Amino acid sequence: MTKQKITRKASDNQYLHKDFHIAFNYSLDYLRKNMGEGAVKEYLAQFTLTYFAPLKQSILTNGLLALKEHYEKIYKIENAEYRMQFSETELIIHLLASPAVMHIKNNGHPVSPLFRESVSTVNKVICQDTAYESEVLAYHEENGAYRLRFFKR
Amino acid sequence: MISCTEFIPAYSELFKYLEGKQGKSALIDFWDYLSDIFLTNLKDDVLKNGIKGCWIYWGKTLEEEAADFTMELDEGAGEFSITMHRCPSKGRLLEYKHLEPYRDYCEHCDVLYRRILEPLGYTYILDRSQTDEAQCHLSIKSNNPNKDDILPEQTESKHR
Repeated sequence: MTKQKITRKASDNQYLHKDFHIAFNYSLDYLRKNMGEGAVKEYLAQFTLTYFAPLKQSILTNGLLALKEHYEKIYKIENAEYRMQFSETELIIHLLASPAVMHIKNNGHPVSPLFRESVSTVNKVICQDTAYESEVLAYHEENGAYRLRFFKR
Repeated sequence: MISCTEFIPAYSELFKYLEGKQGKSALIDFWDYLSDIFLTNLKDDVLKNGIKGCWIYWGKTLEEEAADFTMELDEGAGEFSITMHRCPSKGRLLEYKHLEPYRDYCEHCDVLYRRILEPLGYTYILDRSQTDEAQCHLSIKSNNPNKDDILPEQTESKHR
């Protein structure tokens, strides 16, 4: 029978709890099953308008560069493999595999049929009331890979 | 893609959405669902290792969440505790200037983990009196510490 004690400071570790992808997936699936597809989109829109307000503001000031820098940062954190084509009027992102989808699947959890809305709805709402639009050119359910295009209206 | 580092605000906003649409009971129902479907690893760790399963489970998650904490385990007494000096989730929510956390964000910790541990024979006590400062204290005690070292797997095999 052992006694153990540890103390950790925030600076001792990197903030990267990938199981949050699983919790997010089940959050979307709970909404889908209990309240329908409309609720998933409505919730994601509400979350996006609130949480991504600073990003939306940055798009108004810096255009597509704000989106490019945002996703470069996110993909670096998640160690994602991706390609980008960038100009002043168009940004095309090719995510080769979604770290979120792969973590969910690799841990034996089913991916919600509406998980793709975390790409399509979120980016659509990010672009609302800016000079830009987004469209998902391709989405692969098996690994969450996608081609996402942002362009000037 | 939403990064796992963006989950906590998404989670807090979901609490608001669910309560706003269908009331507090819907939020509790969601927490119960998430506990049952997502916290199977905590349940497995405790079933396999007794009170030490808490040490194993939270040791991994709190390090991945870069928490500021002290964790203690006394296997003989069947006791485990976490003193959270700075919760990474609530701490982040308090730092955001542009969003308001769900009014009782930390309540989910009380519901999700209690639902796993009480049926397994543990007393779950979460002091949430200082969550406005991103601090809390969790105490988990075996209801029968003398038997806590007889793990369910061993008990099962004895019956065969």
